[in-house]
Order: sequence, then C-alpha cells, then structure tokens
Amino acid sequence: MQHDIRNKPDFASLHIVFDEGDAIVTEAGAMMGMSPGLKMETNMKGGLMAAAKRAMGGESVFMNTYTATEGGQRLDVAPSSPGDMEHIHLEGGAVVVQRGSYCASTPGITVDSSWGGWKSMTAGEGLVMLHCSGEGELWLASYGAIHCQHIEGTYVVDTSHIVAFDESLTYKVRSIGGMKSLLFSGEGRVCEFSGTGRVWFQTRSAPNLAEFLHPFRRVKPKK
Amino acid sequence: MQIEVNHRPAYALATVSLDADEIVVAEGGAMVSMDTHVTVETAAAKKEGQGLMGGLMSGLKRMVAGESFFQNKFKAAGSAGSVTFAPKHVGDIVSYTMTGACGLVLQSTAYLCSAESVDIDAKWGGSKSFFGGEGLFMLKASGQGPIVFNSFGAIKEIDVTGDFIVDNGHIVAFEDTLSFTNTRFGSGFMQSILGGEGLVCKFSGTGKLWIQTRNPQGFGEALASKLPMRTN
Repeated sequence: MQHDIRNKPDFASLHIVFDEGDAIVTEAGAMMGMSPGLKMETNMKGGLMAAAKRAMGGESVFMNTYTATEGGQRLDVAPSSPGDMEHIHLEGGAVVVQRGSYCASTPGITVDSSWGGWKSMTAGEGLVMLHCSGEGELWLASYGAIHCQHIEGTYVVDTSHIVAFDESLTYKVRSIGGMKSLLFSGEGRVCEFSGTGRVWFQTRSAPNLAEFLHPFRRVKPKK
Repeated sequence: MQIEVNHRPAYALATVSLDADEIVVAEGGAMVSMDTHVTVETAAAKKEGQGLMGGLMSGLKRMVAGESFFQNKFKAAGSAGSVTFAPKHVGDIVSYTMTGACGLVLQSTAYLCSAESVDIDAKWGGSKSFFGGEGLFMLKASGQGPIVFNSFGAIKEIDVTGDFIVDNGHIVAFEDTLSFTNTRFGSGFMQSILGGEGLVCKFSGTGKLWIQTRNPQGFGEALASKLPMRTN
C-alpha cells in the first residue's frame, strides 16, 4: 500500500494506492473519491458496545472498510474541517487521540474509547478519549496545523489544542500561574506531560472560531 | 529572544525561545504550549512607573481597544525555555524588530506578543479611525525589541513611498512615519456606494505597511447569515 498526505497544512487530504487485498478503515463520510472496483462495507466495527463507546468519543457509530479487489485501486480521504493531517506508524505502541481527531487507520489498529475519567473531564476535553493501539498506520486530522513536539522530561500544552499523545507519557491537568492568572489570564487549563514520547497539538482551536463568529449572527426578535 | 514562525500562512504558530530569566509579554489566551519551568504572571497592562490607577486605566483602554484587560508575562525561570503562541484567527504571523527609530501602529486585534522592552499603548484613534470602521482604538507600540503580530488571511508587506490606498478592513499594521487619511472610494456615487468598497485609507510618506488578504468582517457576515439566529 502506498499512501501520502497532500495539500498540507491548510487542506490536507489522504491518498492511497492499494495492493490486492489491502484494506483501510475510515470514519463515516470521509471518502472523497475511490476506484469503482473497491469493496466497501459499512459496519459497527467491534460490535454494538464498541460503537456506542465510540459515539461517546465523538466519533461516528459506523465505520467504513474499503478492501482492494485488485492492485492499483485508489482511495482519497478528506476530513470534514479545513486543516492538517498527520500520519502515525504504530508498532505495538499506543496513542491517545482527542475525540474528533481520528480519521482513518489500517485494520491492524484497534480503535477503542477509554474513559478519561474525572481528569479529562476537568480538562474540558469531554469524558472520552480514543485509544488507538496495535500495528499499522493511523491518520489523524484537525482544524489548524498539527505540530509534533518530542518530549523528554516535562512539557505543557493548552488542553483545547491537544490532538494526540503517546501512551508512554503521563499527564496531569492544572492551571497556569497563580489565582489571578486562573481568573484573568484567558488561558484555560493546561496538560502537563511527563516522560518520553510525542505530543501532537493543533495550532488553532475550533471554539475560538465559533466565538469569533457568534456576534455576527442575527438576533432573534423578542416576542 | 529568538522568534520562529512555522505553518505559514493559514495556521501560523510562533515559537519564542527565551534566554534564562528573559520575559515575553503576550495577549491573553494566546499561549498554546510551553516548557514546564516557564512561569506565568498575569497583570493589568501598565507602563513602568505607573501606579495602581495608571495600570487600571491602561487595562481599560486595552479592553476598549479589543485586546484583553490583562496581559500575561511568561518568564523562563532559571534556564532557557520556549513558549508557543497562536492567534485566535486563521492567518499569518509576522515578527518585527523595533529599533526605536519609529513606532508601530497596530489594528486592535493584531497584537500577539512582544518583548518586555516594547510598550503597548491603546491609542485613541479619534473620529478619523472611527469613521474608518476600524473601531475607536488602535494599538501603538514604541520602544525597542521584537514584537509579533497576526493577520486574518495571508499577510503582505508593502514599502510605501508616496501614496498608497488600502481598504480599511485589510489594514494590519504600519510604521508611524506614515500618515493616513480616510477617504471615500471613487469619485461618484456609483463607484463609492455600489462598488462595495466603502471607505478606504490613504497612506502618505515613507514607511512599511502590512495588509491582510482577507477581511474578518466580510468573513463573519458571509458565514453568520447562514447560521440560526441567536437569542442573546
């Protein structure tokens, strides 16, 4: 299988040329173009429970699997938001992916929602993060460019900008500065990562865009 | 202080590398990531020698100018460290070094971060900029050292010698060696009203001018008219 990401970082898209028998799993709705001979199946991958958990993770219940019936067939994948894509090769390791950032993977990767628990809830990231593990290729997508930071020791990232991180890293959620910073800095909560591994973060956040657009909306007249 | 800008132009990210105990001042909410030992202090923006009231007034002026009341000071405590900053908008970032030879005027939402030795003051734009549709205030930077600002869309630097005309919604920043007047576009009614250009700014003199390739007002209006109405 050959794969490459084009049009980085503004409008990244994934382009795959299959060998016979290769398969790829994508989020529902991500297919942009494909060879007509490609076999497509829509299913709740991993069964009902896994699908329900995925839905809580902000991902689609249904996933599409594309299998090549002969070599040379193509699939073009595009995420829904303008922005970047990142390819991660996994060999038995695992990455934790922020909800909404998963785009596609090869069948050797298991995508599972794990409860982030209280810690991720206070981070404002929602209750569920996706746990991607196994062997194969994984593609993530985000609004904004994706910046990869190698960590040895500790590093701090704003919670609303986290896309994914290696499972080898531990993290804690905290605020920055003192009491005054907590109230007035305009900086939300941050994740402090420790250990050795990579963290991927996005250089823009969708809530900021929504906040900018809100005042432009027309006001509903009062009855 | 070293400043590096990556992922240009749409999703630009500024990485500021600080020497030990060096400080960078930034717009509230702009920090994306940083080294753990970098400390953050939040204070109402005030100049050297200003008392509590002075600080309060500076903060209020900044707030009216569309910037945050408070500024954050990031300090690389004890050893060198780095902080990354991103604007709220889709767009580019420019790093500029103030030499003290002239000041820099910024459109109110263009400020991202600067060295502590650069003074940022909300400047009363007066009726001139009010009718220009740029809001009542602009920011005025003076002093020496690096300052980083951002645009909506890509950014274009123009060396003005003589006169140059820019649509008001596309101005990012300019050196204060340039003077400006607001003027109506075109000579007749057809051109100025139906041409959709409205008011423009005419710059004169010699200096640098930065313009953005998209107008945030135009984008906001284009998209928001397709959204459901809001109740507040």
